[in-house]
Amino acid sequence: MRERLSYYIKRDSALHRLNPLTKIILTLGILLVSLISPGYWTAHALLIFAIVPLSFLGRIWREFFSSAIRLIIPAAGFIFLMQAFFQPLGETVIFKFWVLDVTQESLAFAFRISTRITVMISAFTLFLLTTHPSELMSDLTRRGLPGQFAYVIISSLQILPQMQSKARTIISAQRSRGLDTESTFLCRVGSIVPLVGPLVFGSLVEVEERAIAIEARGFTSTHVKTSLHEIADTKFDKTLRWVLLALVILSLVWKIWQL
Amino acid sequence: MAIVNLQNVTYKYPLTQTAVLQNINLQVNEGEFVAVIGPNGAGKSTLCYAIAGFVPHFFKGEMSGTVEVAGVESAKSSLSEWVLNVGLAFQNPFNQISGAKYTVFEELAFGLENIGVPRDEMPERVERAMRLTGISALADRSPYSLSGGQQQRVALASILVMQPKVLVLDEPTSQMDPIGTREVFGVIRTLAENGMTVILVEHKVEWIAEFAGRVIALHDGQILMEGKPAEVLTSDALAEKGFGISRYTSTARAARTAGLWKKANLPVTLDEAAEGFAK
Repeated sequence: MRERLSYYIKRDSALHRLNPLTKIILTLGILLVSLISPGYWTAHALLIFAIVPLSFLGRIWREFFSSAIRLIIPAAGFIFLMQAFFQPLGETVIFKFWVLDVTQESLAFAFRISTRITVMISAFTLFLLTTHPSELMSDLTRRGLPGQFAYVIISSLQILPQMQSKARTIISAQRSRGLDTESTFLCRVGSIVPLVGPLVFGSLVEVEERAIAIEARGFTSTHVKTSLHEIADTKFDKTLRWVLLALVILSLVWKIWQL
Repeated sequence: MAIVNLQNVTYKYPLTQTAVLQNINLQVNEGEFVAVIGPNGAGKSTLCYAIAGFVPHFFKGEMSGTVEVAGVESAKSSLSEWVLNVGLAFQNPFNQISGAKYTVFEELAFGLENIGVPRDEMPERVERAMRLTGISALADRSPYSLSGGQQQRVALASILVMQPKVLVLDEPTSQMDPIGTREVFGVIRTLAENGMTVILVEHKVEWIAEFAGRVIALHDGQILMEGKPAEVLTSDALAEKGFGISRYTSTARAARTAGLWKKANLPVTLDEAAEGFAK
């Protein structure tokens, strides 16, 4: 059974050591620049000159490529095909397929959109691989995110796998009582009911107990929360965040200037 | 001096007609080990919640009478302040794991983070709680990868780290196998020896006989009997009312009817029974 639902890989690297907020801003910065900037090659350049080098810097390039490829090929590939065939752009027909025309312009457009999708997915993958969820949440809590919100996010990451295993137990129990979960489609759909009942009602009881347990540990205390681990926020982090903000604004200016 | 003082406590859960606790008067001295027994529905858990402040703060409902710990009344305090006085651990170890932390060490620190303990004081307090519960070797493990007995000790440690004045344990071993039970009672023994005030709800009467200084028998929300474990746990009246009793007590009681048990008192533990039958 998987112990956690997080992609985090523990390594010691400059990227791992960055403050979590800086990493969020880095991810969003790359994303926004690639979306806003009117330059045709911006997204491609970001991919080659920012994201790929960052994956080497974070010493997670192997995991990065394997998970990125698994996510990107289906998503970007699908978008590319849709846009290439259905985008009613341009005159220069390269080839025809049934009633659909693939033009040079629609091909260029599709290439650009799918690169943007690639940038988006890979930037987030990079973020998830190098940021520990609880580190992220304690940093955000320190900056004023409500503790309850952070708790919901973090605990779901750990409790979901537990619920999955509970669902498997319930399914096995129901099957040993003769529930059909493997024959026709209708049978499979029908078998969801005896799963969902125990799972949902069981979880409701658990929620109350867990509420008592965390309350017993001062969860609603009015004291200012402290944190066990010190999360570094260096001068470099702060500078980098301003630089990224400046880049986003610059690409906005560029976009407006182009109009 | 009584550290826990319940005066005429009567309590009704919201939307119910009958009172779960009726006119409970209970004093527990500092450093005392009190066990609470009773059949299902006797109000044992509710009594725990009342001492730990969850009744009425968390469950709402109607409460009359007063619950005082160390001279402060629970109704006049807030729950998040009250948990610093009284620590509560209960049955299911899995539900007591916060889910917000990835290692046992961090799990223990969760409570300290919540109440704003400075960072440099945390490691010492966490390590002390881990030593007390014998889980130091598990510090870097995920709380979810542990056995039931280990998880329950983590749950106990996460409460102890808050340094409560009183510890309330609501059937902490009811979901444990024999090994887990022994582990958890090992911790409870250490705590009792260190002078912790403990209120323990438990069905396993042989363990109660070993630890408790006083036993309280709860029935239909009322205190039916109160006294030394040897007296309460072997009482004929309790056996008739459906209280869990030790198999050694019931064996000896049957033997007494048949004229085979000669001693005046019935046994609770195996050793007492063996000794009595040997005579």
